[in-house]
Amino acid sequence: MTRPRTPAARLRTAVPALVVVALLAVILAKGDYRANFFSGGGFALGALIAAIALGVVVTYRGSGVVNLAGAAVAMYAAYVYADLRAHGDLFLPPLPNPLAPIEGLVHLAGDDGFSVPHWPTSVSFGAAMGFWPALVLALVFCALFGLVLHVAVFRPLRHAPVLAKVVASVGVLLFLQAVVVRRFSTTTQVVGPLPFVDKTQVDLGLFKITQEQLFVVCLVLVLAVALWALFQRSRFGLAVRAAAENEKGATVLGFSADRLAAATWVLSTVVTGLLGIFVASVNSSVDPNTMPALIVPAVTAALVGGFTSFGWTTLAAFGLGMQVSLVTFLGANESWFPKAGGLPVPGVDLLVPLVVIVAVLALRGQSLPTRGVLGPGRLPFSPTARPWALRYGGPGLAVVALIPGVFFLSPAMRDGLTNTLTGIVICLSIVVLTGFIGQISLAQTSFAGLSAYTVASLSTHHGWPFPLPILAGAAVAVVAGVLVALPALRVRGVHLAIATLAFAVAVDKVVFANSWINGGFDGATVTTPALIRSQDTATHHILGVTIGDGTQPNPLTLVFCLVVVVALGYLVANLRRSLTGRQMLAIRSNERAAAAAGVNVAAVKVLAFGVSAFIAGVGGAVIAYRTGNVTPDKFLYDKSLMFFAFAYLGGIASVSGAVTGGLLVGGGLGFTVLNRVFGLPDEFVLLLGGLGLVVTAVLNPEGVAGKARTDLLALQRRFRPPTLADPPTLADPPTPADPPTPADVATPTTGPVASTEPTASTEPTASTEPATTVPPAASVPPAASTPVAAATPAASGSPAGSRVSGSAGAAPAVAGEAR
Amino acid sequence: MTALLEIDGLYSGYAGVAMVRDLNLTVHAGEIVALLGPNGAGKTTTLLTTSGLNPVMKGDIRVFGRSVRGRPAHRAPREGLAHVLEDRSLFYQLTVAENLRLAAARSKGDLARALSYFPALEPLLGRRAGLLSGGEQQMLAMARALTSKPRLLMVDEMSLGLAPVIVERLLPVLRRIVDDTGAGVLLVEQHVHLALEVADRAAVLVHGDLVASGTTAEIAGRAAALESTYFGAGAEVEAGADVGADAEAGAEAEADARTGDPEADPEDNPEGSR
Repeated sequence: MTRPRTPAARLRTAVPALVVVALLAVILAKGDYRANFFSGGGFALGALIAAIALGVVVTYRGSGVVNLAGAAVAMYAAYVYADLRAHGDLFLPPLPNPLAPIEGLVHLAGDDGFSVPHWPTSVSFGAAMGFWPALVLALVFCALFGLVLHVAVFRPLRHAPVLAKVVASVGVLLFLQAVVVRRFSTTTQVVGPLPFVDKTQVDLGLFKITQEQLFVVCLVLVLAVALWALFQRSRFGLAVRAAAENEKGATVLGFSADRLAAATWVLSTVVTGLLGIFVASVNSSVDPNTMPALIVPAVTAALVGGFTSFGWTTLAAFGLGMQVSLVTFLGANESWFPKAGGLPVPGVDLLVPLVVIVAVLALRGQSLPTRGVLGPGRLPFSPTARPWALRYGGPGLAVVALIPGVFFLSPAMRDGLTNTLTGIVICLSIVVLTGFIGQISLAQTSFAGLSAYTVASLSTHHGWPFPLPILAGAAVAVVAGVLVALPALRVRGVHLAIATLAFAVAVDKVVFANSWINGGFDGATVTTPALIRSQDTATHHILGVTIGDGTQPNPLTLVFCLVVVVALGYLVANLRRSLTGRQMLAIRSNERAAAAAGVNVAAVKVLAFGVSAFIAGVGGAVIAYRTGNVTPDKFLYDKSLMFFAFAYLGGIASVSGAVTGGLLVGGGLGFTVLNRVFGLPDEFVLLLGGLGLVVTAVLNPEGVAGKARTDLLALQRRFRPPTLADPPTLADPPTPADPPTPADVATPTTGPVASTEPTASTEPTASTEPATTVPPAASVPPAASTPVAAATPAASGSPAGSRVSGSAGAAPAVAGEAR
Repeated sequence: MTALLEIDGLYSGYAGVAMVRDLNLTVHAGEIVALLGPNGAGKTTTLLTTSGLNPVMKGDIRVFGRSVRGRPAHRAPREGLAHVLEDRSLFYQLTVAENLRLAAARSKGDLARALSYFPALEPLLGRRAGLLSGGEQQMLAMARALTSKPRLLMVDEMSLGLAPVIVERLLPVLRRIVDDTGAGVLLVEQHVHLALEVADRAAVLVHGDLVASGTTAEIAGRAAALESTYFGAGAEVEAGADVGADAEAGAEAEADARTGDPEADPEDNPEGSR
């Protein structure tokens, strides 16, 4: 296979290669650098990252899922193994007891002594187990777990949008973490050593390494070679590659794509679990947070290998693992290392994956997607806000939140409602970026956090009066958002998700864990005006109405949050109705087509990132003022993942979806109700959150709000006799009498967008079969392009409100037909 | 002769709407059956349902005597069913040789024989399938289906997106394959005249209903009426079991005008009288 090589292509390969060679030369030349780079700990970390990355690549090649829970599987396997070794117990996920409602009913009837048998928490195998039985049992568990993941989660999602798969894997990650925290709390668990190797040093000439570290390194290398052989040389591998690309084609050749995918899931969980167990044994400990976070270097390594090459993936994983101890050494010993407040800047080792990702993507990426690029897939329908929703729905919801929030709700519920409100803001920022323009960002709370720390600093140390720091914080977020947007101009889909995730993890450590910025152990104080200070318990008497009940939190804090939510909600709803909003949707559907229609793809993308970061920044500022104290935990990368997942579940393409997402977020109203009314403990809430995420993603890949909307429309259609006039509204050509609105004339870019409309509407079959208006040759799935087609009648600026709602209403039906 | 494929009162479609209604069709070993009809007639649906890629709503399909209902779609191919899909479903990331090897894997198939029908593929064996031209891709799709030594071969829209010259070269290969191996072929084709040249029998679907079936000669006589259905006039064929001589003459004239090949008619006629 020969590829024509242009000089630019040669340069793209040569430059990174030279940089890597130069770095290696420097490391090898300096003795203490070499000793720290080739350290046993670095090798062991590299081995674990490599195993996780190999698992990610296997899963991706087998089922097209970028499994963000891969590293959590390693952690879970280590816990299973450790518990078997120590106590001979196989712990089970704490699932809800199906008999619990009976107990509740009996208690309600007055018999408090009654209780049903408890759900088992573990299966005991007697006493502590030896190494081999525990290992085998733990691996069997891993294999079963992989099978369950395939059958229960990812097989139902195999035709779902890529986003739904990412969300489901986030759900799995949260679930696994919650189970472990529930069973073992967050403390470190001791893991016994491996029986056949020990900590004797082996001298390999260039460096020294312990036996057990050498063992895991060799094991990973063997596994990598074995996987390579399996995928490149065996019939199974050939079939997996074929089925991943074209399931139908593999089926008609007699291969069961389903079984092949199941096999790769089992393979990846076993490989990941095996190394999770061994590296935990080498490190003698495991905790619920360290290992799952390794997903970032692992996907970075997988990205270097193009999600296909086992060799490059392994090599990159070792490099990323080994640089950690070197960077730590440099920070402690070198004067040129960046310092903050006299101490070395933390988390520089986490900047390395980010730099690698940006470099790889910048070198490989294309400013417009070429054929066969993995995009975010079909996204849920994005409706324009109906006039009645804007006129009555928004204010109505605001009043529904305001009256009970200020006067009736208990303090805990008030707190939950406020969490929901701040959650809505973050979800709104995701709606703009992912819902409207189809770019995945897993760094939204990083933008919020940057803004929050800016607010803390300006309000406390520089004495800025109340509303000004919000704008400054949002401005900082916008700058960060635009910076992230620059690489996003060349990458998209899952690759962008990975880049933003690496950005979030780096910001966590470099900024939020930086004591120079974060105000140390107590957090950074925000000077909040007394009126909206959450801790303020004063009551206010306005026009004979008493506000406040003398307890925290202050109801006026809630009012402050609500005002911001309403303002931003209208901003997003109007953005969707504007020309820019339509251009965003055009880009979401098909970047190439949008560019061909005269949309400046790069400019609109940067704008979307800016708007999204602005909203997230305002959200961060609100959170800062609301809590009065900024601590990193609210803005860490896992919070970004959670918000993204909940925004997706709520409905990622509409304001109503963001509101639903806000109700679902951790600590929000939904959870508060579960916690306070149904008495579920906090850890259960997290666990149910993860599980609910998976279940909802599987049952409802388009989000709750979207589902509710289609159900409502189906209901409307049932009660209203279908008229012939209904379907044609979709492609109803604007009547000549329709006067062009000033917007049409004023903005030149409307021209190309509007000019596509007659093509769609004059299609002869349009009136009878709306689905056929989509040209069959288009590479976009019909459902993805339909919303744009549906939106174009609105684009003509038709004054008839009924047509806007008509087109919005008809489109889900079309999507349903096309599916 | 044994029936390789029996379609028996089949209803099939999508989202609860039957695109094919009450279809009866059999394919025997050693014959080519052409399934003709305008866009949206349900031809592809019929093939997809036969392959188990689309569920049967009512009626039954038996492939090699076994019902496809409730059977995983990957089973029948292992017993000798090959399906060249409308979109060809090639594995673009794999090389030509790897595409063929995959087909050979399950059925201990014969790579060399498949290549003997399409010698143009031989120099391309190491190339990725995604880099082939449309005609080469179609040849690969056919060769891949043949590699698995099928007893029943279903070919969907071989001519899609190809120049007529290439179609004229590819279709006779089907005849050779059937004569060599004794396989049965179910052929979906839009080029009515070309299809009728190679087929033994033909069936015509219009809007999901079987409106005509019979030997090639019988159907060829009504080709003009058939082609008129392509533009939405379904009733004529349905009503006219014996379409007048005018229509037949029209068909011939049209065929002449289209292909500019006076040989087309004499070829049709002897076959018809056979």
